[in-house]
Amino acid sequence: MSDSDEGLKILASVESAQRISRRAFMGGSVVAAFSGSILLSACSTSTGGAASSGAASPTLEDQLEFFHWAQYDDPKLFKKFTNELGPVTHIDTYTSNENAITKLVAAQGSSGYDIVVPTGPYIPQMVANNLLQELDLSKIPNFQNLETVFTNQPWDPGNKHSVCKDWGTVGWIVDKSQISTPINTWKDFINVAMTEASGNVSLLDAQNEVMGVYFWANGIDWTTTNPADLDAYEAWTLQMAPHVKAFESYPGYQFAQLGYGLSHVWNGDARQGFNSFKDPSRYAWGLGSPNTELWMDNWTIVQGAPHPEAAYAFINFILDPKNSLQDLAFHGYNTGITGVKEAAQAAGIPYLDMIFFDPAQLATMHAQEINSAFDREVQIFLNMKNAAGA
Amino acid sequence: MSAVGAGRKGRRRDLADVGLRSWAIIVYVFLFLPILVIVVYSFNNGRAMITWNGVGLNGYRTGLTDPTIRDAVKTSIVAAVGTALIATILGSFAGIALARRKGKWTILFLALVFLILVTPEIVEAIALLLWYVRLGGPFGPHTPIPGISYGMVRLWVGHSLFATAVVTLIVRARLQGLDETLEEAAADLYATPARRFRQVTLPLMLPAVLAGALLAFSFSLDDTIISSFVSVAGASPWPVYVFSAVRNALRPEVASVSTLLLMLTLIAIASVALVLRRSGQSSKDVAKTMTVGG
Amino acid sequence: MALPAWVWFLSFFTLPVLWIVYYSFGYKPDIYHPIATDKLSLHSYHEAFSRAFVHVFSQTLQISIIGTTLCLLIGFPFAYWLATRVSPRWRGVLLGLVVVPFFVNFLVRTVGWLILLSPAGPVSSLLQRWGVRSEPLHLLQTRGAVQLGVVYNYLALMILPLFVTLDRLDPAMREASKDLGANRAKTFRQITLPLAAPGIVAGLLLVFIPLTGDYITALVLGGAKGNMAGVVVASQFTVAQDWALGAAQAVILIAMIMGTVAVFGLFALAIRTIVRASRRITLPPVAEEAV
Repeated sequence: MSDSDEGLKILASVESAQRISRRAFMGGSVVAAFSGSILLSACSTSTGGAASSGAASPTLEDQLEFFHWAQYDDPKLFKKFTNELGPVTHIDTYTSNENAITKLVAAQGSSGYDIVVPTGPYIPQMVANNLLQELDLSKIPNFQNLETVFTNQPWDPGNKHSVCKDWGTVGWIVDKSQISTPINTWKDFINVAMTEASGNVSLLDAQNEVMGVYFWANGIDWTTTNPADLDAYEAWTLQMAPHVKAFESYPGYQFAQLGYGLSHVWNGDARQGFNSFKDPSRYAWGLGSPNTELWMDNWTIVQGAPHPEAAYAFINFILDPKNSLQDLAFHGYNTGITGVKEAAQAAGIPYLDMIFFDPAQLATMHAQEINSAFDREVQIFLNMKNAAGA
Repeated sequence: MSAVGAGRKGRRRDLADVGLRSWAIIVYVFLFLPILVIVVYSFNNGRAMITWNGVGLNGYRTGLTDPTIRDAVKTSIVAAVGTALIATILGSFAGIALARRKGKWTILFLALVFLILVTPEIVEAIALLLWYVRLGGPFGPHTPIPGISYGMVRLWVGHSLFATAVVTLIVRARLQGLDETLEEAAADLYATPARRFRQVTLPLMLPAVLAGALLAFSFSLDDTIISSFVSVAGASPWPVYVFSAVRNALRPEVASVSTLLLMLTLIAIASVALVLRRSGQSSKDVAKTMTVGG
Repeated sequence: MALPAWVWFLSFFTLPVLWIVYYSFGYKPDIYHPIATDKLSLHSYHEAFSRAFVHVFSQTLQISIIGTTLCLLIGFPFAYWLATRVSPRWRGVLLGLVVVPFFVNFLVRTVGWLILLSPAGPVSSLLQRWGVRSEPLHLLQTRGAVQLGVVYNYLALMILPLFVTLDRLDPAMREASKDLGANRAKTFRQITLPLAAPGIVAGLLLVFIPLTGDYITALVLGGAKGNMAGVVVASQFTVAQDWALGAAQAVILIAMIMGTVAVFGLFALAIRTIVRASRRITLPPVAEEAV
């Protein structure tokens, strides 16, 4: 528990003590005990000021600070949120989960952020480091709009700390005018990257996904901790490194401008690329195969968040089906809201095959886990980048 | 451009002149080319900055209305003003002491200043972040200074280190280049130390102080590495925003806002130059002092 | 009077940096914790030297030495022109013009080059339209682009001190040298160059030091080839969360910069001694030391 929580607890107990004495004066000791406990639970997540008005209609703070992935939500939605509910939103961005966690860890509750959006497997680590608040789902009534398959995930049973923002997968974009060899699997991807597309390939600037390319291509479970597998992976990174032109997190939207032949890419970013291509038929999107990733990014509230009520209000706001659909049209990832696919089809949103996947495709997608091999994996990846710079 | 005419010194002279002048033109083109590109692309109506998609003012419209951009620019300016103040005050006094009260400590102090100058920003950035968290107090959220966010305090301190070192050297160099006799004369005439400082030393070192302040200001405005490590929510400056945009999704509003900022800076510089000219200070003096403290 | 600056530097520079040095002897205990210092060792230094980033460090040094030299080669003739061929009335304005591009944020300037160099950018498409090239130009995300970017971003720091020293140079000195029968090359070597020496030294330092620590220019223009020492240090903190290894690398980086500056300083001193000894007439010592 951080200092601020200590402060809040003290504040809450003083306040509830006063209430209790007043109620006790009115004569109902059972009522007093009951209201006291409600107050205490309200105070554990809200500021002292909000507590007195009760949990049902909390006062929203006038600001909301995001620590977020870049360009991950429709800017119009933030404006709409401010217009409808009041809090002005600010967004600082990070480029990887590691990056976000480092900053939150180093700040030790002093970061000043309210909402951060980690990918699922990183959540246990963040909870262990006391970086995230426990959620009060009663403040997010729209939580019930989520399809149940996207709740209660293995990394956060019971959605104690996180709520699904959206989920997606990983694959590639090819410029067919540069690359003639067809690419159907990760093995093809590696072969082409090392031959026809050599020196003109971008890989994601994310160690999990780069590791995935190798393990999926070679039929190895990508959550492996077997040292022999990791050694083989390390050897492969050094072979691959000289062929890589850039490690880029979002190659999609400027794929054509930077002249890549082949890019390793998130499905939503690939779709943004296709939305901007002047001649989309020149390019092809490929979903990773035979196996590929299933990742889920999640709304969480930061420990020590200065504006928790606004954070709850925003999460609830974005889970509204209409808002969710608007966001989906912007970022191109499935938001997991019941009926969002039908709504998207009805709205005529383009390239839906890059957002929604059929059960056969879903069966090939697997989540990463952060395990004892993590540190080694990160160092292998950083070393690959050093080798690529040579 | 009125280069000195040659002619009488023969053809080789001419050749050297032409060569030098062409070189200068090439250098100017080199210096202005990317700036020109930014100004042109600030009118790009596309969603991505580097994808040209017709002329328009969309970038300017978004740039001026986006609250994150507005706050980032505001943060940058407040941080730069604060940095300039801190660095100018600390650096001027240190510079005076270095030039006028030499002692065994001078070498030690100069060594420290040199160390600050050669330490890569990334090292300072990391060291400061860990240090701030350790110190807490005004650098953390729990005991705030009223009216000032702790993020701003972090930026001021972080930016001021390098800037103070630079101001110190400039002021020292300026005072070393000047005679001490004026100050001594004032002392002989029974001027109090305070008065001596105000009426003799301060005017003498003014160009150096102004140059230092300008340098500190622009250093803070440009700083990306320290800022991106120490900044906190709500006090994230413009370069940090731009850096994130470059790595994630570069949109035309970055070019638009930069163009506006360039215009504002040019106007500000022009007015400072005018004021200086009126008050009899040569702006070239300030520009020169900025570099070697002459 | 220097007391406030002492306090400021000690508490916000010396102590935090010493703290980092202390961390460099620690280790990373497990994936959830970035640092532990209960056992101190040289382990992180050992690891730092055993990895590919020794290679990155030497490359960084190469880029910064080439970059600094190019800045001098480009900047000197320019500053010489500005100081000797331009009438004093115009000098201030033309010097100001050199500084104007630097009022644009340095990342944004670099983005200007990103656009210029990109395969779909104006240069590439013009060359294709004129038939000079049949394929898009792949200049971006190469070592060359990084080199160009750093020269561009630090050129002004070379030109300004060079101009100031050359501007102070009395034209009469060069005239006198000529009148005494020295040819132009000799005048340049024996008069101009020695007098400009403090400016050259200042310029070299002002460019070399920040350039070596800079990694942002390289990240924007270099793609995978833009992996400078600075970014290697940074990613140990931001990605790997191995503060001990990152701290050790940071210490090595400082040592590398100081070492290079020291070697260069000794070299410059040696040259000066040789030149002084070989010259018959000793010129008056240079009035001021460089910043």
